[in-house]
Amino acid sequence: MKENILIIGGGAAGMEAATQLKKLGLTPIIIEKSDALGGHIAQWDRLFPAFHPAKDVVAPMLESVKGIDVLLNTEVNDIQCDADGFKAVLTNGKTIDAKAVVLATGFDLFKAERKQEYGYGIYNNVITSLELEKFFRTGKDERINNPKKIGFVHCVGARDVKVGNTYCSKVCCTTALKQACEMKEVFPNAEVYTFYMDLRMFGPGYEDLYLKTQRDFDVKCIRGRVCEVSENMDGRLVIKAEDTLFGKPLKMTLDLLVLMCSMEKNKSIDKIQQQLGVANNSDGFMQNRDMYLGMNGTAKDGVFVAGTCTAPKSLPDTIAEARSVAVEVFNYINNK
Amino acid sequence: MDFGFCLSPSSHVQMDKIDLATFNRLKETNPDINTCIACGSCTATCTAGNFTEMSFRRILLMLQRGKEDEAKKMIQRCMLCGKCTLVCPRGINIRKILLDITR
Amino acid sequence: MKIFDPFVLPFVLGMAFVLTYCFVGLIKVILQLPKDDRKKFLRSLVTPKTAWANIRDLFGDCLFHVKIWKRNPILGYMHSAIAFGWFMIIVIGHVMLFTLKPLQGVEIEGFARTFTNFYYPIFFKYFAEEGKIFGFLMDFFLLMIISGILIAVVKKIHSKIVGVKRVTKFGFADNMIRFALWTIFPFRLIAEKTNIYAFWWLYSIDLLIFMCMLPFTRYMHIPTEALFILLRHAGLNAREPRKGYALAQIYSCPSCGLCIDACPMSVNDKNSGNTSAYFMKKLRNGDTEEAKRIAETCLMCGKCVKVCPVSIESCDIKFSQRAETPYYVNSDHSYLDVILTEAQRSGEISSNNNKVLYFAGCMTQLTPKIMRAMKKIMESAGEEFQFLDENGGICCGRPMILSGKTAEAQAMIAKNTELIKKSGAKKLVLSCPICYKVFKDEYHLEGVEILHHTQYINELIKTGKLKVNKGDVNYVYHDPCELGRAFEIYDEPREVLEKAGNLRKAKSEKELSICCGGSLGSFNLTQKERDEITCNSVADLMFNNPDEIVTACPLCLKTFARKAPVAVKDIAEVVSSQL
Repeated sequence: MKENILIIGGGAAGMEAATQLKKLGLTPIIIEKSDALGGHIAQWDRLFPAFHPAKDVVAPMLESVKGIDVLLNTEVNDIQCDADGFKAVLTNGKTIDAKAVVLATGFDLFKAERKQEYGYGIYNNVITSLELEKFFRTGKDERINNPKKIGFVHCVGARDVKVGNTYCSKVCCTTALKQACEMKEVFPNAEVYTFYMDLRMFGPGYEDLYLKTQRDFDVKCIRGRVCEVSENMDGRLVIKAEDTLFGKPLKMTLDLLVLMCSMEKNKSIDKIQQQLGVANNSDGFMQNRDMYLGMNGTAKDGVFVAGTCTAPKSLPDTIAEARSVAVEVFNYINNK
Repeated sequence: MDFGFCLSPSSHVQMDKIDLATFNRLKETNPDINTCIACGSCTATCTAGNFTEMSFRRILLMLQRGKEDEAKKMIQRCMLCGKCTLVCPRGINIRKILLDITR
Repeated sequence: MKIFDPFVLPFVLGMAFVLTYCFVGLIKVILQLPKDDRKKFLRSLVTPKTAWANIRDLFGDCLFHVKIWKRNPILGYMHSAIAFGWFMIIVIGHVMLFTLKPLQGVEIEGFARTFTNFYYPIFFKYFAEEGKIFGFLMDFFLLMIISGILIAVVKKIHSKIVGVKRVTKFGFADNMIRFALWTIFPFRLIAEKTNIYAFWWLYSIDLLIFMCMLPFTRYMHIPTEALFILLRHAGLNAREPRKGYALAQIYSCPSCGLCIDACPMSVNDKNSGNTSAYFMKKLRNGDTEEAKRIAETCLMCGKCVKVCPVSIESCDIKFSQRAETPYYVNSDHSYLDVILTEAQRSGEISSNNNKVLYFAGCMTQLTPKIMRAMKKIMESAGEEFQFLDENGGICCGRPMILSGKTAEAQAMIAKNTELIKKSGAKKLVLSCPICYKVFKDEYHLEGVEILHHTQYINELIKTGKLKVNKGDVNYVYHDPCELGRAFEIYDEPREVLEKAGNLRKAKSEKELSICCGGSLGSFNLTQKERDEITCNSVADLMFNNPDEIVTACPLCLKTFARKAPVAVKDIAEVVSSQL
């Protein structure tokens, strides 16, 4: 009998899980709400820590899901569970029967306009990390006009109870330093500042990236959180922060400010998640069974999770989880 | 180690001798006080800090390093406007702590 | 003919006690008033305008409870049935004494006659015939009181019937006296109708219990409210939390608990103990520590004052309570002396009197959208304007005053006054209601018109300087406490929003609007407790499913933005997007 596995989300986690499940002899079906596979990572130019082109990772993934059922521009409208498994009604009217469900719904990027004091959406030259990545990819952004002074703000929407996110978003520190280097490559004469609280360089090669920013690119790291952004008469940005190591507040004029937006739980899946009986954890992400041996399981049998739907994660973490979820699903189907 | 010929007193913070009574008192009524990550938002936004050396981040440190007098001197500059409390990413009730220190 | 029976003695004893207590209390309050206040008070008693207001409110508030009627007719009936009914049977008792003259021909003189006159009307039916008309009136008012008591009993069991969700929790004494009050009139009815001797005793003893306990319970509000009305009309302000005017207010609080439902903090049951009803109770019981804590927890939104059927100015008392907290470090704002304005630094002091001076305020520095919008509005209206604090200003002083340190706010007030006067502007526009409140109350800026930007924008539209295009967005307007309840600026923002789009109603509006939870008034509330208040206020605003929440305070804006399901905007932002 055909063992359908419903995978919600066609990003890195969804694609990799589908590939592995197919190899294990099951029949994965990917439901993707947007018009293309790839998720957030497809919008990235290069990856930290070694500036690896993102498409070199995404392309083989796309290649390996060929032959797998993929439904683009589709979402799950309703999902029911019975003894035989799951019955999902899709937005295109079709119904899919599946033995197991993998939630690989990923994250939403924090909406930068929620921190009004940073001036995103108010001042022209305040952009997000995602927009900067798009600039690297396409070389086009009318807000970036040969900036002389560039600032990066860490922890936008992370470690911040005022926006309801107390967690660390894990990848922004490294991304900021990567992007800082890239800005120096594009604009060698620009001064690049990053405003950090802690530089969390936790992974292999990450510390090397940090050393590179200091030795090769002269990225200036200031320990302090930007708290106010305004605009001066010339349309340049004036930022206020405290240089906490020097112990004095500082003001600085910048031509471009990049906000390192945190990951937030993808809320578009809330209804389906509720129907499946998967709760959220205190950070608002999906609650897995536990963070060790049960990281792919949920409170509901037959419902699995992979990738950033449970917490902010780097791409290698996500891929590893996607592979492990395939094994979990395989075991679940075989032991049924 | 005291060799008996030191002319000027040590500039070290004498962690063995400091009096943490005030800080501990504050901690009782404001348990969030220890969640500070020293990001400096309070200091950067401070209305009084625009004109003087007022820094709540440093006040907290001073209290934890036995420099209570310095902290109290700094607090005199405060206008209690509340911007610090509004920007604090840890949700620390800074205005309340500032008042509590002085009473 | 009977003219005396021992059962009158408990009543006489109780009445003598309560009259003595009230008299001493009255003298105490008047003596505690500061000299100028006392003069003001005595003068107000003979000034025709205040004297008329006194008479009006003594009847309207003490007897008819007009304010409670407005809030809930059943609750209003309950109160006025008991108060007015009781008043009437006392009055009719005396009228009967003087018209039916039952004591005519009885040989009592001097003290004995006064003594008899004292209790006779209260037990009239035992001693003499009432006649048809008076008998009917007495029965009518007695039944009126009993109908009020029946409602009170129902309210005790199920308060939601009279529109009250939460009621004040009472101790033994308050419950005991309430029971006495409830039984006085049924006892009297039974005594009058059946003439069973024991019920006359019960009736009298009940009166004794009621009057002896009166000074020590919430029912003290019955006599005190009359004094409070007189003091209030004299235009006094509470200066000390437990003396003089404040004392009269403390005893005037009936602990009715209407402020408990009104208080934004009550959204969390744990915090409903921080409401004004309990604050007054703590003050009355001399629990200073608790009173201090509650005073510093309060958001100072002023809603309890607006809903209070007795008009107790609890926020003023909380202010005076805050002012009593001793601080061992005094502020030193002498550094402000050397600050110069941008114009002073460049040496160009404009003498253009038509210029508009814009003061954004500290909080608005964190909401650059408001400043941007105001700039655009003033530009498009062709106004000549100057920013007083574009690169950071001096605090207005209100936050300092809110902490009870009025004296320490003076340096800031003085410096801002100086900077404003030097600018030569005749019109000052503010974006922050917190600033607006202190500029209106504490600043002496003679010759300078002070406007909040809601008023200013409305004025620009009305004078034709600003053209606003009507969009099709549905707005709901949140009244910031310090703009709405403090200055009743309710219509201007609504007129402006009607021009820019469609205005939908919130569930609670204007003086009943719910504080956003971000208020600088509170020192003790935790972030989590504030969030609960915010969510409650947002739910109230979302009642008619608006597309956007509009407010006129940077602090409300920032607070709501954290929890609202729709966009939150300042009114200036809305207008600037519709130009």
